[in-house]
Amino acid sequence: MKAKKGTKLVMMGNEAIARGALEAGVWVAVGYPGTPSSEVIMTLQEYKADMYAEWAINEKVALEIAFGASIGGARSLVTMKGPGLNIASDPLLSAAYSGVNGGMIILVADDPGPITTQTEQDSRWYGPLAKLPMISPSNPQEAKDFTIIGITMSEEFELPVILRTTTRVNHAVGDVIAGEIIEPKKFKSFSRDPERFVRAGMSWNLARHKWLNNRLRDLEKSTKYPLNSIEGEGKKCIVTEGVAYQYVKEALSSEKNAFKIIKLGLLYPFPIPFLSESLKGCEEIYVVEELDPFIETLLRANTDALNINAKIFGKLNGGLPLEGELSPEIIGSFLSIKRKDVVWRAEEIQVPQRPPPLCPGCPHRNSYLAILAGISKAGFNRKEVPIFGDIGCYALSVYPPLNAIWTEHSMGASISMAVGLKIAGFEKPVIATIGDSTFFHTGIPPLIEAVNKKVDMLIVILDNSVVAMTGHQATPAWIETETGRRTKEVKIEDVVRGIGADEVRIVDPYRIDEMTKTVAELLKKKGVNIIIARAPCAIYEMRKRGRPGYYIVLEDLCTGCLACIRATGCPALYTTEEGKVKIMEDDCYGCGLCAKYCPEEAIVSGEKVAKKD
Amino acid sequence: MQKKINILISSVGGQGGLSLSRMIAEASAIKGYRITTGEILGMAQRFGSVLSFVRIGINEEVYSPIFSKGEADYLLCLELFECVRSLSYLKFGGWVITSTEVKPPISASLEGKKQVEKVPSYLEAIRKHSEGNLISIEPKLVKEVVGTLRAINATVLGAFIMLSGVFDDDAALEGIRKVLKSERAIEISKKAYNLGKSIAEKAMPIHADNKS
Ligand code: SF4
Ligand code: SF4
Repeated sequence: MKAKKGTKLVMMGNEAIARGALEAGVWVAVGYPGTPSSEVIMTLQEYKADMYAEWAINEKVALEIAFGASIGGARSLVTMKGPGLNIASDPLLSAAYSGVNGGMIILVADDPGPITTQTEQDSRWYGPLAKLPMISPSNPQEAKDFTIIGITMSEEFELPVILRTTTRVNHAVGDVIAGEIIEPKKFKSFSRDPERFVRAGMSWNLARHKWLNNRLRDLEKSTKYPLNSIEGEGKKCIVTEGVAYQYVKEALSSEKNAFKIIKLGLLYPFPIPFLSESLKGCEEIYVVEELDPFIETLLRANTDALNINAKIFGKLNGGLPLEGELSPEIIGSFLSIKRKDVVWRAEEIQVPQRPPPLCPGCPHRNSYLAILAGISKAGFNRKEVPIFGDIGCYALSVYPPLNAIWTEHSMGASISMAVGLKIAGFEKPVIATIGDSTFFHTGIPPLIEAVNKKVDMLIVILDNSVVAMTGHQATPAWIETETGRRTKEVKIEDVVRGIGADEVRIVDPYRIDEMTKTVAELLKKKGVNIIIARAPCAIYEMRKRGRPGYYIVLEDLCTGCLACIRATGCPALYTTEEGKVKIMEDDCYGCGLCAKYCPEEAIVSGEKVAKKD
Repeated sequence: MQKKINILISSVGGQGGLSLSRMIAEASAIKGYRITTGEILGMAQRFGSVLSFVRIGINEEVYSPIFSKGEADYLLCLELFECVRSLSYLKFGGWVITSTEVKPPISASLEGKKQVEKVPSYLEAIRKHSEGNLISIEPKLVKEVVGTLRAINATVLGAFIMLSGVFDDDAALEGIRKVLKSERAIEISKKAYNLGKSIAEKAMPIHADNKS
């Protein structure tokens, strides 16, 4: 990150965006962790640049912070994954009417595949929806360059600019030429200007809408920014953007190309002047894009303005799939390119699948076991007490052997969906399980709702004191952030007590019997009752302080009943050829959970055995 | 020389497969090659399947960060099951370097499948698929010589360099240095790297014998 101008660096797309922010003089960088966007803020934090680079409580707050900085003239960057922009969409749309002073970039990272996201949301539609400029890089170098261009463009047109990426750009590594890092642009001035910054139902909103449309029209015509490009010539034309462009290039690299490639870096406003010029003479237009037919739809809607009557091929007439990632292979056959015959053989033997499990020693495993045992202990059948889940590692409790959560929907939805089911007339108890960071993110308003409407439920807050799933980021409960900034810790127990929860208990999930009792007790009580199951994320703890120990199976004692595996599903356990169980010593965290379930007492602490020998 | 090299790294989350792909990328850049990788990362949890695509262009551009089945010149595996799972990516005549370590997925144990210690039969399947183009690395040996399995990715890197000669030791070691943070980790990885080279050196002539 410290490299001088002109140095060739190897960077991940997200690192390149971070570098771009430094070269663009960004002063405020803020976001909420979400794969595949998280490494941008993480890189800036690691670099310890002289700037504000911190996580915010959620995407809406993050976007408003960046916007607040920009109306004061500072340059800002806000990062999030696709669904995060849904949460931030309220300030997004208003920001377009108000406009900014300091350049502002909104990074939204989509996830075709989807590889780590709940939906294959195509956030490009936010360009026309919010009426904001949207740019799309196709590799790490462009990710950096477009960040810088975006900031300049944002300042010239006084509009936030959306930098839209996909996993294959965010997480691709490639070479990047470093530019100059400049002094960050901080606060300049802020004065009262209600027509710009007071939105709610004001008469001047119509005028601001006109202002916005004029800005977009000017930008559409601007040729100042090197975002769009043309390669080759011919009557067969390809219109593409993002990583799909790289796939196109790859697909065409094996033959002399007879295609003209039109690459869009500016997705919105739809660059009509550029396109009508570059599509001149095209008889066939192939639109190659991932996810929705976004460009294709705009192209078809604008054939008059573009003055084209070429045949258009894309997703709307079935040429390319509407779901999943593209690849050079898929594009090759779409363009009817003869590729070098790639023959491949399927592997002859099948190996078992490997769905991601909860980590060895993960406290969530204990929490869910206690919840399930608590349901039985309270005299209920597990099939009659729904466990609402939320977004985080603990969603993995859906898999066997826990088979715990019934739902996992959107951030914070566990509590609100439980409220809904109760209101609908569900009479048995309900349990909502939610992680600490998800609770801070969007779990607080639903809790207020539950308390205020007196909806009986048990809420278990799985507090591992970190945003674990996205790579271990800070939560508001930390007293110091990743950059060393001293913060005031916000305690979950204070929050829930302040809201008025009826019973609040803090338990250690590793003391599973105690937690089971607490679950059984509170499940039978009326009111909104909360258990805070508090124990640090095992992986994070191991990195910071090492593991508490490790366990081994005494082979002679093990009868192969598999009780340990069936109860815990801990991935450090496995069955041997003889049908007995062993523990992968290096992977065991030493929580001792499996030992509890062994009727033969065959699982013992490795250190204790070593000491005896 | 003008060519493209496709490498697929197949591992289990937490084993260092992503670091290996980054080491190769850093080393390639030092040599002035074009480089692109496509990886699936971001989930902090471990023990899932992880695939990293690495593409090197020597005096040639590489565009796509991923490639398709049948296109890998080299398949580098840190775990045996994952290696078998990824075999279809191997090109005809491509090489496989694999650690014979097995991390049995818990889901399979749950179903009561006794699938461990089938190492020989899995290895045989890989050998057959790659028509003998196989270098296998015993985790036991690595643990003996290096003291830990944490640097097994550097062992695979060493074997890969010995086999392919894509870049030299200096570049490889610089690649390791750029990815790892602590001096201690770098020292351990160097040891692991050298071990990988000697394993490959021994494996290569045997392979030639097999062919004849
Ligand atoms: S003690 Fe048992 S349950 Fe805990 S991490 Fe080790 S093997 Fe897994
Ligand atoms: S519970 Fe005990 S006896 Fe049963 S398989 Fe596990 S270690 Fe062996």
